[in-house]
Formats: sequence, structure tokens, C-alpha cells
Amino acid sequence: MIAFIGRRLLSATTTIALSAVLVFLAVQALPGDVATQVLGQDATPEAVAALRAQLDLDQPAAQRFLAWVGNALQGDFGTSLTSGESVSAQVGLHLRNTLLIAVVTVFTAITASIVLGVVAGLYRDRWPDLLISGVSLIGMSVPEFVVATLLVLLLSITVPVLPAVVLDEAGAPMTDLLPAVWLPAMALAVVMTAYIVRMARTSVIDVMAGEFVTTARLKGLGTWRIVTRHALPSALLPTLNVIAMNIAWLVSGVVVVENVFNYPGIGQLMLEAVYSRDLPVLQAIAVLSALIYVVCNLAADLGAMALNPRLRTRERSTS
Amino acid sequence: MSDTRGQGPGHAGPPRRSVLLGGLGALGAAFLATGCSQQGGAATAISSTAATGTPAPGGLLRIARPPASQAETLDPASSLSAYEYLGALYSRLVRVGPDGEVAPDLATEWDSSPDGTTWTFRLREDVTFHDGRPFSSADAAYTVRRLVDPEVASPQAGVLGPLLDPGSVEAPDERTLVIELSSPNFEFPSLLTGYNCYVIPEGSGGSIGRGGVGTGPFRLESFAPAGRGRLTAFPEHWEGRPVLDAIEFYSVADVQARTNALLAGQVDLLSQTNLDFATARVISASSRATIARSTNAQWYVLPMLCTQEPFTDPRVRQAMKLAYDPTAVLKTALQGTGVEGHDNPVPPNDPSWTDYSVDRDPERARALLKEAGREDLRIDLHTSSYDPVFTPMALAYKESAAEAGITVDVRTASADSYYTRIWMKKPLCATYWYTGRPVDQMLNQIFRSGSSYNETAWSDEGFDALLDDARRTRDTGRRRTLYQDAQRHIVDNGGAMTPMFADRLVGISRDVLNYRETGFEFDYLNIGLRAQS
Repeated sequence: MIAFIGRRLLSATTTIALSAVLVFLAVQALPGDVATQVLGQDATPEAVAALRAQLDLDQPAAQRFLAWVGNALQGDFGTSLTSGESVSAQVGLHLRNTLLIAVVTVFTAITASIVLGVVAGLYRDRWPDLLISGVSLIGMSVPEFVVATLLVLLLSITVPVLPAVVLDEAGAPMTDLLPAVWLPAMALAVVMTAYIVRMARTSVIDVMAGEFVTTARLKGLGTWRIVTRHALPSALLPTLNVIAMNIAWLVSGVVVVENVFNYPGIGQLMLEAVYSRDLPVLQAIAVLSALIYVVCNLAADLGAMALNPRLRTRERSTS
Repeated sequence: MSDTRGQGPGHAGPPRRSVLLGGLGALGAAFLATGCSQQGGAATAISSTAATGTPAPGGLLRIARPPASQAETLDPASSLSAYEYLGALYSRLVRVGPDGEVAPDLATEWDSSPDGTTWTFRLREDVTFHDGRPFSSADAAYTVRRLVDPEVASPQAGVLGPLLDPGSVEAPDERTLVIELSSPNFEFPSLLTGYNCYVIPEGSGGSIGRGGVGTGPFRLESFAPAGRGRLTAFPEHWEGRPVLDAIEFYSVADVQARTNALLAGQVDLLSQTNLDFATARVISASSRATIARSTNAQWYVLPMLCTQEPFTDPRVRQAMKLAYDPTAVLKTALQGTGVEGHDNPVPPNDPSWTDYSVDRDPERARALLKEAGREDLRIDLHTSSYDPVFTPMALAYKESAAEAGITVDVRTASADSYYTRIWMKKPLCATYWYTGRPVDQMLNQIFRSGSSYNETAWSDEGFDALLDDARRTRDTGRRRTLYQDAQRHIVDNGGAMTPMFADRLVGISRDVLNYRETGFEFDYLNIGLRAQS
């Protein structure tokens, strides 16, 4: 058990370190650097050279990378090359905004998908199942920006009840951002729900065919009671992993959706950083994304282990 | 974002359009288009002019713009100035009138010595800056001197620097500004109409970037680089109080998001956004928004670098120009909503425009290439998604030139580094400029030997001599003839192919009245909102 956790932590750390290296290399490969990007074309070669020296861009790439890693390990992600503000503060603010979307998305998606998944599983191959499965198949195949655009068309333009874009800045109070959270969250939740529904449906079908369900039926329990008290906890187990993967996906899917809604979250910050070649911001976001990804997976695995004694023993016997 | 604003006094314009997700935006627009076609009809015509009338006094105008770099500033002299704000905050000595001629602004009249080297400007009285200080000739002199100060590194320094030095600008009395030029120039006042030439208070160079103190119809309440900003009406403005109470600027990166904000009624105007046709039709069909069209607002170019193979040979350049059909390019790239350029960069509505053109002749092009030893010429034409017209224009050119035996390979480059890596670096690319600047400035800055924005690196002594002659000529009619000769020279010998002039399609709310654009700045004084019944 402990060896397993240790191994997982080690691979997690490797993943994060690798992602930092890859992002650094990718940005090096981009045409243009921050000095030319900030100063524009009117800049004299001397001005560009001066700015490059000031930002240490004239140092070898490997040396800059090591210096960055050293500081990052102490929690210092440096200052943004374009705004001059602290990267940690900037990333923190945008992450807060994205988390707002993420929380709403995850709650909506999990609730909706489990209800729909259970219904589909119970009414297997009958019309409620066919409808839910069909719609979720469409939800899976349509990219999130299309869903987002359709939602805007429906709920901001045709029936104007929600704002189409966010005009607030990253530092706006949460209460100001709240009306703008629903559309992005819905767009992401549609795609996420579609995935989890399929998983939940299969689980419910498996579990309902199990012996303990038959026993429960023989005891005279009603279908809904069997589902909520017995089948659901078992059905949720494999779903957990899918949910964790989806939360990790959320971090990347949010880039596109935030752009459509001009939402001042981590995705938008990342896009800006790519445009302006703002390496410190980009690296911080990359490491953070890798961290979220890894933590979600780890949590899913450990959660599954805690809930399922069989998995625990199997792990012990192989380690 | 893709800030390529070094493009100087009005290079190609919306310099930092969001492009990474441009493809997504276009798809979204297509979706919207299908959504709206039921009500609006599939081929909704794009409206042509903005509504005029008597607006309700007061009101708030909300403008969405693409975010510029975090380094942007309100200093008008800077290459990183947030120029959506400039026309509202500041005034110039002179401006370009709707007829394309130089018109009074802070200077009421001006005259030169008979030899055209000493210019005297009479300045308006009773003008105050937003901080209450009276405007005087000292402020005007400070502004002009600052433009040629190497420390400031203004893009306008390249235009004014060769003509004057800081010591030659004097303010003999409160209302008079005298500028001594190093060479005769009867077009000099037109060079002060550039958007870098807005007048700022004497000594304010250090604080103007955040302070924004000017003599314009609005004063600054707040400003965040690449973020939000708010301006409020300046009641003591010398032309009278503006109609609006306030203007708010918002940064919206994605062009589709900007369009959605307009359609949803969250903003009233999309600034720095030349909409593509699909989106423009969707907006025209909506009940809330419409399109204001700015005629001949930009010209599209395929600049050939005269310093790089194969364009070092003038016969090859001529063949490239003779090979293509501007009508076909116009039809494909602009769906016909523009006018043919015939390789002359001066727009047809400019007072000094000439209608000179050379007819298309693919056979002659073929012969010229043979003569130059370039039979079966194969050439890369670089384009990007920076502007929606670039790629259709490139493809239309490719098709057209094939008839002359020229093989064009269209290469798409990354949009956010297009103006630093491709433009003025590769032998052939697609680009555009804003019109609306004085002909002297345009010809000198983009076509004169060695000028910083000479995108074709064309160098022709005869042409430069024509420009010098024009500047030395006092008679307006004669000067005009010389500028027309210069245009012919460009058509015959230059490196730039100018297939067409395009209208700029600006998305505005149907509630906006009196939206008027000159060059790429609009009338902040009279713009207003419809009275709500």
C-alpha cells in the first residue's frame, strides 16, 4: 500500500518535471521572443538588446531553465515579463476564477450524469435509455466551443437572460463574476456529462445484474431503494475514475470555453502568455495544470482503493 | 496579444487582433449564420452607413476592443499607444477633414515663408487641458520637439526627424508656433495629422502614459493596459460638450466573443475589428446591431521585396503585376465589396488620386519572364489568418497568375508573429494598410528609398526626386500633378501589387447615431445614442 503510494508520487513528480521541460522547449521553438513582442517593430535593435539583457534572455536557455526551477522549488514563480507583476498572484487570481467555473461544472455534471446514467441503466434499451444515450453521444462528439456558441445564441441573444461575454477583469469580486459563470459551466458540463453518463449507465447495468441485487429484491425492497442504497455506491466506483479524468480535462477544455466567453480565467491567461511569449507565466500554468492532472488521478486511484477492499488486497498481493 | 503595432502611423491596422482561435470564431459565425438565416434570408445585404440623427443627450457608449500588450500606454507619441483612446482624449494642431484636406484643430491658420522652410501656426485661444491648465504655444512646441526626441522613439520621428530638429521649434508668443525646416516642404502641415502628433501639456512626457491629460472632448477616469478604461465628458472642451456622458472600453480577445457581446447588447461598438463577410451579414440581420461601412478604408497589398530574388529584376516585378486580374481578385477576396487598386496605393477618394492603370496582359508577362530568364517562375506567397482577406487574396492571385505561367505556392504562417517574421522579410507576402493619411506622408513613408516602412525596399531616384519636387512646390495644383506622376511611377516600376481597396466593416449597435470615421479615428464629439422610447 505504502509502496504503491510512493510509486505513484514518484511518477507524479516525474510527470510534472517533464511537463515543465517540454513547455520550456516548446516556447523556445516559437518564432519571436518577448523583447520583440513587447517593443513592437519600431524598436531599435539597441532597445531590443537592452530589454533582452534586462530579462536575462541573453543567457543560455539551459541556465535560465535551471534558475527558474530553483526559484520555483522555493515557491517563487518570478514576475511576468510583460506586466511586471508577480506570476503567483496573477495565476492565483485567474485560477480562482476558473475554479468558480470548475466547481459549478463538476457539480452540475456529476448530478446530472448520475441521475441520467441510472435512469438509462434501469430502462436499458427502452426509450428513456435510447434518448439519453443518443443525446450523450451527440454531446460527446460536438466540440465545446460549438456548444458554447449555441448556448450564447439561445440564452444571450435570442432570449437574453445571461451575459454572452464577461466584461469584468480578473480582479473583479466573485459576486460580479457569478452571472457570467453559468454559460461556460453549462458548455463544459454538457460535454462532461455525456462522458460520465455512459460510464454510469454501464455500471448500473452490471450491478443490477449482480446477486446481491437479486437478494435485495427477494427481501422485498423497491427498485429505487435498491438503486440508492445498494447499487449506486457500487456503480459509482468505476465512475470515479472517469470523473477524475474529466476534472483534469476541464483544465484544458476551459481554455477554449474561456476564450469564447472572454472569461478571465487560467485559460485566457495562458493564451495571453503564449501570444506575448511570457515564459514565467506559461511555465507556472503548465506546472499547475500538470499538478492538477496528477492530483486528480492520484485521488481517483486512492479513492477507489479506499472504497473497494478487493482492489486494496489485490494491490497488496502484487507489491 | 499579437501586438505588432510597430506598424507605424497607421500600418495595417488592427494590429493585434486575436487570431489563435480565429478559425473557431469563423465556425461559430457560420453556426450563427445558419441560425439567423431563417429570419434574415440567406443573402442578407450588409448595410452601408450608420444611422444619423439627433441623439439623446448623455448616455454611455460601450466599446469592445482587442487587448493590446500589457505595455500599452496613453502616450500618443509612443508606438505602443492605445489609440482607441487618443482621439477622445487629445486634439492635434491640424487634422484630416472629411474631404481629405488638412483642416484646423488647435491651430486655426498656418502659413509658410515663400521658400517653404519656415512654418507659422496661429493657435486657438481659450483652450484648456483636462487639468485646468490653459493651452499655449509652449505645449505645442513641447509636443513637436518630443516627437523627434530619440529617447521617445516615436514612429513619427522617421517622418519629421529628417525635416526638423528640436532646436528649430519656437514659441515666440502665447498663440504662435514657428517651425524652421531644414528643407522646403509645402506639405508639412499634413505631416502633423498623424495620430502620434496629439498635443500634450508641456513637461508631461513622464506622466502622460497613465495620466492622459489632453484637450479632447473626454477626460480620463481610469485606464488599465490591455484592460478596462473609462472616459467622461469634458464640459469645457473648446468645441463644446460632447453628446455622450461617458465612454467605457473593454478588452475582448476573441473576435467571435466581441461579436457575441454586440449581438447580446453588452457593448455598442467593436473597435479595431474589421469583420469578415459572414459575421458582417449575421450582424446586419440582427435586430440589435448593424454594420457601419467605411469606404475604401484600407488597401490590400502583395509587396515584392525588391532586394530579394527574383524581384531584384524589374522585369519580373512587372510580369507579376501584368499577370493577375484585379477584378478576379476583388471578386474572390472581397466578394466584390471594394474597388480595384490597379497597383496604385492612393485611394480613389483622395484629392490627388490619378486614374492611371495598366491593363492585364498575361502574354506580355510570359514574354517578360522569358526575357529575364525566369520562365516557369515558381514563388512562395506568404499569408496568415491575421486578416480574413489575406488568404482568399493570395489564392485568387495564385489562380490568376497561373495563366501567365507563374506557379504560386501559398504558405500560411503563424499570425501572431506574422509582422515580425514574414512581413518585410520574405520576398512575397500579403498585407494591408489603413488609408486616410495625407498623400505626402504615405508616399514618403511607404515608398521612398530607405524609409522605415518601405515594405518593398524599393529604391528609385526618379521617384524620390518627384517627391522632393512636390514638397518644394508651392502651387497646390502643380504639387498635385507631381504626386500623380509619383503614382504612375509606382504603378510602372514599384514593387507593390495593390489589387484592391476594401471597405472596413465595423459592427455597431442600432442605437448608435452619427458614427463617422476619418482615417481610423472617429468623431467622438457628435456620436451619441438613440433616445429610448
